[in-house]
Amino acid sequence: MARRTLVFAGLLAALALAVVASLALGAVKVPFAEVIEIVFGKGGSGPNQQIIETLRLPRTAEAMVVGAALGIAGAILQGALGNPLASPDVIGVTGGAGFGAILIIILFPGSIALLPLGALFFGLLAAALVFAVAWSGHNRGSTGKVILAGIAILSLFTAGTTGLLAAYPERAPSAIFFIAGGLTSSGWDELGTIWPYFAAGFVCAALLIRPLDRLALGDDVAASLGSRPHLIRLGAAIAAALLAAASAAIAGLLGFLGLVVPHVVRMAGGTSSNTFVVPASALGGAALLAAGDTLARTLRAPIEMPVGPFMVLLGVPLFLWLLRKVV
Amino acid sequence: MRRALLAALLALALCLPASAAAAQKAPPKRIVALTPFAANTLVKLGVMPVGVGQTLGGNERLSPKVKGVPVLPLSHPNGPNLEQLASLDPDLVFSSRTWAKGNESMGDLGIRVLVQEPFRLNGAYAQTKVIGAIVNRRARAKALVASMKKSVAQARRGISAHPTVMLILGVGRTPFVFLPNSWGGDIVTKAGGRLLTGGVSSGSGFERISDEIVVAEDPDVIIAVPHANEDDIPSLTEYLRTNPAWSTTSAVRNGRIYISVDNSLLQAGTDVARTIRKVRRVYLEN
Repeated sequence: MARRTLVFAGLLAALALAVVASLALGAVKVPFAEVIEIVFGKGGSGPNQQIIETLRLPRTAEAMVVGAALGIAGAILQGALGNPLASPDVIGVTGGAGFGAILIIILFPGSIALLPLGALFFGLLAAALVFAVAWSGHNRGSTGKVILAGIAILSLFTAGTTGLLAAYPERAPSAIFFIAGGLTSSGWDELGTIWPYFAAGFVCAALLIRPLDRLALGDDVAASLGSRPHLIRLGAAIAAALLAAASAAIAGLLGFLGLVVPHVVRMAGGTSSNTFVVPASALGGAALLAAGDTLARTLRAPIEMPVGPFMVLLGVPLFLWLLRKVV
Repeated sequence: MRRALLAALLALALCLPASAAAAQKAPPKRIVALTPFAANTLVKLGVMPVGVGQTLGGNERLSPKVKGVPVLPLSHPNGPNLEQLASLDPDLVFSSRTWAKGNESMGDLGIRVLVQEPFRLNGAYAQTKVIGAIVNRRARAKALVASMKKSVAQARRGISAHPTVMLILGVGRTPFVFLPNSWGGDIVTKAGGRLLTGGVSSGSGFERISDEIVVAEDPDVIIAVPHANEDDIPSLTEYLRTNPAWSTTSAVRNGRIYISVDNSLLQAGTDVARTIRKVRRVYLEN
């Protein structure tokens, strides 16, 4: 118990540090005292106020929400499918969201404002196709069937994305950032549009924490305790699809986070209990994405780089160290 | 007899390098020009290419004289379909670094490939002369360069203001800015604009810069080159205008956001003076 508390406290401290860094650092140097004044509405004016209020604050909030959403999506999928390799990729969401975004960028550049909704729609459509296949016929809802259907649908949408990029190569540069994954400085607009999907996903995930712990005992035991394993699995997949598709709509394709963060918190906390893993993954995901985004914005400032590689840079050494130590 | 044979061999040995050099200097007869710059330069030098590359964003920048010349579709990074290209039996292909992978494959087919796509105006002058030398029209190339320089000087005459210009490539909230070592960047600079670059440099001529720099450097004019169609201009203008990150810039406040859907700022051409005049008249108002 003490170990879990310690890990939780460590994650909270890491998140606080990442948030402060995200607000204080950027391409333009703003004195820290002024950052504090602007954040708390006690002062600031001109470009610095615009930079903190319109660019850094919403971007930091997006990093926290998206990071938490992807961490939770990975945690509940790995718990529901009993598979350590499960992530939002497995239920087709990433492939579908990528196709939806590239479709808008390549074929309908005039409707670029619809990119987040395109990514969200196709991400959820891909997940719905996976569910439709996996929850029909023999062995409906079985882990193997969900994973195989997910891989097939992912391949389908990935082929569509590749085809679009190959057919319109001159338009591909606009798609690079979405594919590599990265936050943008779009103010509060995107979060303002997408938040209901995050909210629904977070609520579903919170309601599934205890049922997932029962499912971890095995389908038969869970059923004997009054649970319905297939329904729990479906609920977890829907929650993960909502969270991952909403994340892709805002930050592009960041599959790595949902895969690795739940493993890191499981190994660090020494437990697979979802009561611990799900909230800890939310904290870990938020801290990792906020830190990765700050690095992507500042390391070669004023050039901005995609955040995906930086999260890998931050997350993989920790993951490998824990893997060597714990497993 | 032996002396006569020796004299004959000596004469042959002396003649061989000269004939080889003459063969090397023989101008290529069947030329494929994959860039609008090379295609139009050839036409202006009086050489008709046997094939031209599809122009990014439409073929309106190609000289009307190449109407009827086969147009080769291009795909990244391979360039033309090699079978289509080989069917034209070219001696020489003027290509671009954009088709780097395809250039190697063309070389493997035994086709001579020269990368001729300038990224600055001075490069356009130099490469016009190179093309002139290759097709053995040096004097015409020199005259063409002189004419280009004269018309550019005329187009630049009387520049009255130097607004800060953010020239961006692509669509979405993560556009790349053109740097001075890009074709569009150089044209805007020659037209009197001061490019917003955040002080960065890049070999590619494009870089994604922070919106914080955009707010701090406050562009007077934003020009987007989005790879889109005429019909998309109103919606793209509105999209850029409502970007919260740029809402306080002078360009947004004064409604000076423009969309350029032809590719005159994207790819080099021979119509430099016309492009500079258009940039000054429509975008910079200077």
